[in-house]
Amino acid sequence: MVIDFSQPTPVEISEERQLTASRREMVLNMGPQHPSTHGVLRVLLTLDGEVITSCDPNIGYLHRGVEKLGESHRYSQFVPWTDRTDYVAAPSNNLGYVLAVEKLCGIEAPERAQYWRIIMGELARIASHLVWLGTHALDIGALSISLYCFRERELILDIFEKFCGARLTTNMMEIGGFSRPIPPELPEMVRTFCQVFPGGQQDYEDILSKNPIWLSRTRGIGVIEPEVAISYGLTGACLRGSGINYDVRKAQPYLLYDRLDFEVPLGSHGDVFDRYLVRMEEMRQAIKIIEQCIDQVPTDGDLMLRGSTYTIPPHDTVLTTAEDMQRHFIWVIKGFSPPKGEVYQAIEHSKGELGYYIVSDGSPMPYRMRLRTPDFVNLQSLPYMAQGAMLADVVAMIGTIDIVLGSVDR
Amino acid sequence: MSEEHAQLPARPALTAESWATGYWGPTEPDLHPAVYAVRERFPDAFIDAINFRDEMTIRVERARLREVIAFLRDHPDQRYNLLTDVTAVDMVRLRDTPRFDIVVQLYSIPNRVRLRVKAGVDDGETVPSLVPIHAAANWMEREVYDMFGIVFEDHPDLRRILLADDWDEGHPLRKDYPLRGFREYVQPGFTKPAPRIRTRLRRPQ
Repeated sequence: MVIDFSQPTPVEISEERQLTASRREMVLNMGPQHPSTHGVLRVLLTLDGEVITSCDPNIGYLHRGVEKLGESHRYSQFVPWTDRTDYVAAPSNNLGYVLAVEKLCGIEAPERAQYWRIIMGELARIASHLVWLGTHALDIGALSISLYCFRERELILDIFEKFCGARLTTNMMEIGGFSRPIPPELPEMVRTFCQVFPGGQQDYEDILSKNPIWLSRTRGIGVIEPEVAISYGLTGACLRGSGINYDVRKAQPYLLYDRLDFEVPLGSHGDVFDRYLVRMEEMRQAIKIIEQCIDQVPTDGDLMLRGSTYTIPPHDTVLTTAEDMQRHFIWVIKGFSPPKGEVYQAIEHSKGELGYYIVSDGSPMPYRMRLRTPDFVNLQSLPYMAQGAMLADVVAMIGTIDIVLGSVDR
Repeated sequence: MSEEHAQLPARPALTAESWATGYWGPTEPDLHPAVYAVRERFPDAFIDAINFRDEMTIRVERARLREVIAFLRDHPDQRYNLLTDVTAVDMVRLRDTPRFDIVVQLYSIPNRVRLRVKAGVDDGETVPSLVPIHAAANWMEREVYDMFGIVFEDHPDLRRILLADDWDEGHPLRKDYPLRGFREYVQPGFTKPAPRIRTRLRRPQ
C-alpha cells in the first residue's frame, strides 16, 4: 500500500461531534499546539459553561516507537535513545537504562563512577524541576519566573557540556560506568553551582510562595487524595504531594544513596501548591546530595569497570594490550550477550519512578524493552482532577503533573 | 486571599519519615511470603515462581489474574498496593504456546518489596482487566491493546492510545511486525518510495 502525502486527506466530521453541537454542552479541543500543554498534548474537554464535565487526554502525537527500536538495537546502542524520551532530564534516563542492563549482566560500576552518576542525576533533577517551574508559573501567569529559572539551568547545562559536549541529549553514561574522563575543572564547576543555586532559588520563592495570585491559583486546586493517588499509580512529587512517602532512593536504594543524608519532603493537602512545595524542597535536598557527593568522591580511580566482557575496555588498555584491543573490536562490532532473564530496574526520576523492564534471550539485542515512564502514568490522573473544575484551572493541573510529551509518548 | 482559601486548615511543615534500612525480601522462591500466600490461596491457578537477580516472578493462570492481584493488594501482610506497570511480551520466538505474557509489576509501599506477576495468553484469548481494582491499569492496558492486540475484559474504554485511532496496520510490538512497518511511504517531492535499507546484523537463531 502506497501513501501519497501530496494528496489532501479527506476530513470527516464524526457523528458524535455533530451531536454535541445540538446539546447544551460544548466540546473544547485544547491542543495539540496549545502553548500550555507542554508539547503535543491534546485534551478534549466537555464544558457546561465554564465547568468541565469530562476530560479526555489524547496522546501519541510524538510516538516514535522507542520500545520497538530497542528490540533492534544492541544494548549499548540504545543509550542515545533514552535521551530522546525525557529530553529535559536526559542523564536520569541514561542512568535508569544503564542500571537495568548492569543488573541484567550482574555487574556494578566503580565507586567513583557511581558518585558521579548521582551528581549528574541530581543535576538533571534540578534542571528538570527548573523547566517545570518556569513553564508552570508561565502558564498560571507569572512571566518573569521563567527567565530566572532558565538562568540557573544554563549553569547546569554548562556542566553537562563540559563533561560530555552536549547540553540536551547528553548520552552521558555507558554500561559499566562512564566512557569519558572527568574534566579536572568539573568538581569546581559543580561546587560553584551549589553555592550559586540557593540564592537563585530564593528569588523564585520570593516571587511565588507568598504571592496572593499564585496562592489563589494553586491552593485547593487539583486535589488528589492519598488513596486515589495510590490507585492511579502516581509516583514522584504527585504521590508525595498527597502525603505518601515513597521515594525509590530511600525505599530501594540504588547506587550509593544509602550512604547519603537527605530527606524526602511530603505534602499534606495533595493540591497544586503542595506539589510545588515538594518540588522546591527536592531541589534543596538535591543540592545537599551533590555537596555530599562532591566531598566524598575519590579524585582518581576508574570510571569504567575493567575486565568484564559486558563493558567497553578503557581507552588506555585498548592501545597497549592485544586482548583489550580484540575485546574492544568485538564489543563495538558484535556487542555483548547478557544472560537469559528479565529485570525491572526503577530509579527516582525527577518526575517519578522511571522503570526499565528488559527481557533478554541471550542475544546481543534485547528481546523486549519496556519503558515505564512516570509521566505517562501520572497523566492518567488529569481527568480525575479536572472533573468538575473550572476551565482556567486545567492549565495549572497539566503543569503540576510535570509532563514531557517525549516521555509520555515514547 | 479569598475566603475559600482562608478556610483551609493550617499547613504543617514538610516532614520526612526516617526510614529503616531497606528490606529487599527473601530470595528463595519457597521462602517468599507472597509466593507462599498465593500458592496457598490459589492452588489451581499458581503455576510456578522464579527468582532472577533478586526479583521474584510468579506465574499464574490467565483467568485468575485479577483475583490474584486483588488478593495481593488486600492481604494484610502482603499489601502490594501500587500497580507499577502492566505490559506484555510477545514470546513467539521463545516458545510455542501461549504466545504472549502479560507482565504486571507490583510494589508494596508499606513493605518496600517488588513483585512481578505473569500470565500467559494466546492470540485471540482475553485477559480480565485490572481497572476495577487499580485505576492505574487503564492506560497501560490500552497501550498493551494498542501494541499487541490483546483484549481485556471489562475494560471501560479499550481503544488505541499511542497510535492513531484509525491505524489499520496491526499491532507494532508483535514480533511479526517489521521494524519499518508494512507500508511504503512516498515523501513529498519524490515519485517513488525510498529504498529499504537491509540491516547487516541479524539476530542469531
